[in-house]
Amino acid sequence: MSPDAARTITGRQPQAVRSALAILEAVAAAGIGATAKDISAELRIPPATTYRLLNLLVAEEYLVRLPDLRGFALGRRAANLAPAPLATPTAARAVMDRLRGRVRWGAHLAGYVGHRLVFLDPDPDHPPADPGELSRHLHASSLGRLLLAEHDEPLAPGTRLTPHTVVDPHELRRRLDEVRETGVARQCGEFRAEFGCLAVGVRAPGDGHLVAGLALTGPAARVAAPNEDLVEVLQGCAVELAPLLA
Amino acid sequence: MRTTRGIPGLRARSPVAGLRRRTLGPLGVLAQSVATTAPAGAMAAVPLLVTTAAGRGAPWSVAIAAALVGLVVASIAVFARRMAAAGGLYSFTAKGLGPGGAYACAVSMVLGYGLLVAAALVGASWYARALVERLWPVDTTAVGVAVVVVLSGAIAACAVRGVRLAGRVMLVVEGVSITLILAVLVTLAVRAPAGPAAPLPPVGAAGIVAGVLPAVAAFIGFDSATALGVEARRPFASVPRAVAVTAGGAALLYLVAMLVHLAAPTVLPALTVAAPDGGPGAAVIGDWAPLLLDAGIIASFGACTLAALNTLVRVLFSLAREGVAPAVLGRTHRRHHTPAVAVGLAVPLLALPPVVGTLAGVEPQDLLGGLLALATVGFLAAYLLVCLAAPRFLRRIGELTPAVVVVAWVAVPVLAVVIVVALVRPGGVLLPVTVGLVVLAAVAGWVALRRTHAAELDGMGVYDETTASDLHLASRGGG
Repeated sequence: MSPDAARTITGRQPQAVRSALAILEAVAAAGIGATAKDISAELRIPPATTYRLLNLLVAEEYLVRLPDLRGFALGRRAANLAPAPLATPTAARAVMDRLRGRVRWGAHLAGYVGHRLVFLDPDPDHPPADPGELSRHLHASSLGRLLLAEHDEPLAPGTRLTPHTVVDPHELRRRLDEVRETGVARQCGEFRAEFGCLAVGVRAPGDGHLVAGLALTGPAARVAAPNEDLVEVLQGCAVELAPLLA
Repeated sequence: MRTTRGIPGLRARSPVAGLRRRTLGPLGVLAQSVATTAPAGAMAAVPLLVTTAAGRGAPWSVAIAAALVGLVVASIAVFARRMAAAGGLYSFTAKGLGPGGAYACAVSMVLGYGLLVAAALVGASWYARALVERLWPVDTTAVGVAVVVVLSGAIAACAVRGVRLAGRVMLVVEGVSITLILAVLVTLAVRAPAGPAAPLPPVGAAGIVAGVLPAVAAFIGFDSATALGVEARRPFASVPRAVAVTAGGAALLYLVAMLVHLAAPTVLPALTVAAPDGGPGAAVIGDWAPLLLDAGIIASFGACTLAALNTLVRVLFSLAREGVAPAVLGRTHRRHHTPAVAVGLAVPLLALPPVVGTLAGVEPQDLLGGLLALATVGFLAAYLLVCLAAPRFLRRIGELTPAVVVVAWVAVPVLAVVIVVALVRPGGVLLPVTVGLVVLAAVAGWVALRRTHAAELDGMGVYDETTASDLHLASRGGG
């Protein structure tokens, strides 16, 4: 029977763990497209071992195989190993301060690291929810829904945080379709019963991928209103922020 | 397709988008392979079939078959650890043998899985009729047809609802039937008296070799998890594991059933449909056992129809996405994200032969045997091609190891011999002629497609490529 790669490596094999980490580092250093042969030659690890470890790291999604099936690159999960410190430029802070002067709601700017949410500029007068908790329950916040809508991935049923939380995957999928259509994510009392938030994405000027989210938080009942002028202000800010963050 | 700035060839969207990507847990993936193999049903049949050919050497036939299947598993793992595809083996073969090999493999798989669905429908209806006949001695033709129709409807619905639901159903059904059959077999073997049954004749090496074919045929379908590559949560880990565990588990079950049969040769013949009155054994061991065994086998066949259908429609879906099959087969259900159109077209077509056969009064045993024999040839051809493709694929991507070359060198000739044995064994000329016709039709199809769809043929082997969103942010180039 075929040897199962996952089972051939145990905690009793420090050399295998060392090699795996060295491979991870080598791929990170080589950039996109390093081949198994390159890595084996560079690290002087026997080819068969290198191939097995590479397949294991790909199976665990720390690495990905590129479409030519020869080259490797760091996978999304590798981001969890060392979250990049996100710096917020002064110019972006100035945009946020202007926004806070115009609206009476809490205004937060959050970045995305893999599937985690990190506040770049939280509103000091209206402290936002804990970013860890927000990252665990992406389905229940507007900033989280922006991220989910961006990736269009299968949804696991989420946790019911309040009686209003949307947990049904089909219903949630419908909401995400709405987010993709309108560009605005919204939730009323789904994360904390009395609060709601609406958010728009800050997108890179080049390819338009999601860089950050800009959110307003306020009483649930008021978030539920159309708030068209507010959304317009938010979208204006997002456009201003895009070149500063991307 | 939109490509992401900075990384050539990286698409923004997977070419197999439309299926529910990366959701199915490892148990669901395993269930797919286990149910297609249907070891519960095979356990009851394999010992009888193999001993007919190999006599007391039968366990050796099973062991040789298991070793051969092990080589195929190793070749499949080469691909399954590196790419996730909806087309299973044929998508793999495309990466090693190019469009010609991929086309041949796709034809083999459509033939194999399609006929397996039909055969399992026949099997379920046959055992259901036997079950009814044991209780009420009436004409059961209508029962047979009804079972086929109801079961086809049920599997179509399950297949459209998605592999998550289907996986749970299949796992429970298959688990229950394996337990049931094991329990019945072992209990009876222990309690059965050393009957007057004639001891099995010792058979030489030729007999053992002849026994390998029915033993290998009992494994077919263990590869079917490879068609769930797109939908599995961690395909590179769960798919190869599911294939290996299914093959290994089935080998173990068949060996146990084989040894039980050799220890108490009266038990199995007394239980199976071959002797509907229960034979001499039933008087000794009670009426409950045949009923339980029948129920287990019906359930196993039922799960097999669903699992084989799941794979078949994904192969059709994948072919359609490549433009080799009609595009309509590539449409997925809006809510359930399954190849619903392929299900709707395939199921009525596959239910037809069992219904017609039953109404025409063809012996279910013959119908099942014929369909399975042809399906087996299809599967064996696909396995041969994937073993042939593995070293070539690895050389192409620069990851060739000597072990894979050895595997291919051993597996390919042995599989070729098994296929030849399957075609020429004394069973009339119907099978070789049918296979010949299929090959001719396939060649004609290839020539026609080469003329009209050359680009699509060259593009065969679509799989779930890494997309921009799978990459670490720092590598995406966009910033």
